[in-house]
Amino acid sequence: MKQFSTLLLKEWRENLRNYKIFWIPVVFILLGVTEPLSNYYLPQILDATGGLPDGAVIELPDPEPEQLLVAVMGQFQLIGMLVLVLAYMGSIAGERRNGTATLLYVRPLSYVSYFLSKWLMASIVALISVWAGFLAGYYYTAVLFSAVPFGEFLAFAATYSLWMVLVVTLILFASASMPNAGLAAGLTLAALLILQLVDSLFGNRWEWSPLKLPNYAASFLDIGPDAAALTWTFAISLACLIGLAALGIWFMKRNRAKTKV
Amino acid sequence: MNVLEVRSLSKRFGTEQAVDGLGFELAEGSATALIGPNGAGKTTTLSMLAGLLEATAGEIQRKKNLSIGFLPQYPRFFPWLTALEFTEMAAKLSGVDSKKARQQAERTLGFVGLGQVANKKIGGFSGGMKQRLGLAQAMVHQPSLLLLDEPISSLDPTGRREVMELLKSLLGQTTILYSTHILNDAEEMTDQLLFLQNGRLVEHGSLNQVRSRYADPQIRIRFENTNAAERFGRESPWPAAIQGTAAIIPIKAEGPIMQDVFRFLSVKSLPVVGVEQQTASLEDIFLKVVAGK
Repeated sequence: MKQFSTLLLKEWRENLRNYKIFWIPVVFILLGVTEPLSNYYLPQILDATGGLPDGAVIELPDPEPEQLLVAVMGQFQLIGMLVLVLAYMGSIAGERRNGTATLLYVRPLSYVSYFLSKWLMASIVALISVWAGFLAGYYYTAVLFSAVPFGEFLAFAATYSLWMVLVVTLILFASASMPNAGLAAGLTLAALLILQLVDSLFGNRWEWSPLKLPNYAASFLDIGPDAAALTWTFAISLACLIGLAALGIWFMKRNRAKTKV
Repeated sequence: MNVLEVRSLSKRFGTEQAVDGLGFELAEGSATALIGPNGAGKTTTLSMLAGLLEATAGEIQRKKNLSIGFLPQYPRFFPWLTALEFTEMAAKLSGVDSKKARQQAERTLGFVGLGQVANKKIGGFSGGMKQRLGLAQAMVHQPSLLLLDEPISSLDPTGRREVMELLKSLLGQTTILYSTHILNDAEEMTDQLLFLQNGRLVEHGSLNQVRSRYADPQIRIRFENTNAAERFGRESPWPAAIQGTAAIIPIKAEGPIMQDVFRFLSVKSLPVVGVEQQTASLEDIFLKVVAGK
């Protein structure tokens, strides 16, 4: 516990002094704001880019506010996730490779504490980012179009938060198990892409899958997800999270000999 | 009383035998110098003793509750931490009480000469400052064994002197095992010498023991001019090597002793500038050991 707080302080200082705790949320806020703004100003944008041919009549239906929030989530799924991967891919592998880990690994270090301190800090940054981004999107959608019921919004953002924490756990697992940051990023992105592809191709055969978390999050804005399916998905997601963290800790310890001396 | 005993310690990387059947002991409060050419296995040995690497075979017996401080050859730090923050974290992670950790970190930084820059970010430190900080993090928790990989090689002469004095002041309470290329300094601070070559311990013992094995003491006579040296070479009854204005006579069991040389020189009334008996320096011994005796 003492080691955990010492290491968490180190992670906090790193994220603060490398400005990660500022720039990552800013990216998410920009993603959250862009969606409602670009929809609201779509006629002006079309004009500015040359306008429509004379005589063309186009009806632009106001987008539903729910659609805008789901679109924001789509941005998070692509750009947001990429940002988190790039920010944390070297969290463990990088320290091992540049040799900064050596001076910690020679001490009676608790690898559980070390992994969890990194996991907690990265999760906090990811959660701040997701909530700041969603709240910004929610606010501009409400001002420019109409408001989504706040209760639905909370359920939506909370469910998506679990997904993001799971992604952070995957990134740290990859960073612990792979020899360098680039391979860790590769493993994370490949795993996410392949699993999402599999789930979208064959996903109609099962309802319980961590990969469906974003879908279930979105359905809170609609008719709401099936309670049983959601509960099981939560349970399986938590099991995956714990499993990935445990494997990550194991790999971190096993790979300590690969630290550059 | 030994703090550490090593028996037939071996480490293999793939097909390469980095360390091969090493055995030695570290007596409490002593200084041991680990020397050998590049790639001899010094860093690998220290890494195993520090617990970073698993040995392929053999055993390392540590004294109960032995606390170790380790300084790698190129210590790397988090550039966004200050020296004090890093040293305090190092102390806490080594089990120092949270309240004492800061105090101990401050004292240690002062001890290694970084008191003035304790609150500066490590990112702006010079190589020498990082080396001192490396020493600080290794000793902040007051370990009973210090493992130092080339602690002084990257320092300037002043820094080298300061760090050597500092390490000497620790001896007695602290056992030190260090590798080095600076043989002059090893000569100055060593109770035990370990010569490593190709992963094997090729020579060990106290400095005097090793010296007497490789000593080949010699008498070196310097003359005023080369003519005198050459004349000495022709006329002296001993096998002298002539190097410019100097003549060098190896002292073997059957060879001359000083008095014989003086007598001969005065009889011949050769213009002598100086006569001295030389013992082999650690550097000479090193070269001999490495060349295979």
